[in-house]
Amino acid sequence: MGETIAVENGSMGRVAYARIAPNEDLVQGVEKLCLAEGFRNAFVRGALGSLVDACMGTIDGKYLQIPGPAVEIVSLAGEVRPGEDGSLRAALTGVVADPEGNVYGGPFVAGLNPICMTFEVTLEEWLPVK
Amino acid sequence: MKRVVTTQLPRPRTLIHPGRFNPVRIQSLRSSKGRHVRLALLPGVSLFDGLVKPLADIGITFASTTILGGYFEGVQYCVAPPDQQGRAVIAYSKPIPAGHTYMIFGNATLGKSINGSPLVHCHAAICTESGEVKGGHILTETCIVSRNPIPVLVTSLDEFELRQAYDPETNIPLLQPYKETING
Repeated sequence: MGETIAVENGSMGRVAYARIAPNEDLVQGVEKLCLAEGFRNAFVRGALGSLVDACMGTIDGKYLQIPGPAVEIVSLAGEVRPGEDGSLRAALTGVVADPEGNVYGGPFVAGLNPICMTFEVTLEEWLPVK
Repeated sequence: MKRVVTTQLPRPRTLIHPGRFNPVRIQSLRSSKGRHVRLALLPGVSLFDGLVKPLADIGITFASTTILGGYFEGVQYCVAPPDQQGRAVIAYSKPIPAGHTYMIFGNATLGKSINGSPLVHCHAAICTESGEVKGGHILTETCIVSRNPIPVLVTSLDEFELRQAYDPETNIPLLQPYKETING
């Protein structure tokens, strides 16, 4: 973990809304939305949609697979930050519901959460004070 | 299939939808500044009316909202199993009654339906009257705010519109962003 600053001052900037299409990855889709809109830092302000299957990290470093379709996204929070190498990295956490309505939670694993029908997301740009 | 915990990375599946693949995978628009409102859903009103009417009164017709938790009566929700008719990959189930419910967390998008009327698309995690924790697509017109007001954080979406439109790829109507129209 390279993060050493506990408090980062800044202000909110632009607001972007996107509809992300089926079979796109949830986490990388949010990163690509930032690329499309020119955001370098952002917070998720609202999100809902569905996944083909969901994959979340577990507390002991394993992967929780929730089979669909569809697995509904019922809660999502997160942010996008630039990585140490300058790439964009979204960290998304949330709760999903399987096709019987049973719920599971955890961090979404990048690359393993393909969107089923649609994903609606609102990002608000974060402008850190340099 | 039931959930599984594995040490191996699973292989994501690519599903085939009924319509032609749209090469535009991210439809996005932005506004220059966010406008925020703290809204209280008042007892006795539906989730739909509690969002739509007060926001319309202050000129907000497109928004992304976070429902910060509270009690509702008459909650009904849908899950999304495969479409047995084959018209789309999935179809919403019949409404599942949850009764007197605590909504743990919800997100609702406010937009316009195909016929131009307000539309609220809401997903939430709920604790049902039977004590189960469930989640799904919430039918916002049946959910009536219980005794206490429920706080909602609203992020207004200005400078563009969210309209429900038929999506040929998935063969269902979906909320999509459009540049503002001059004549509504």
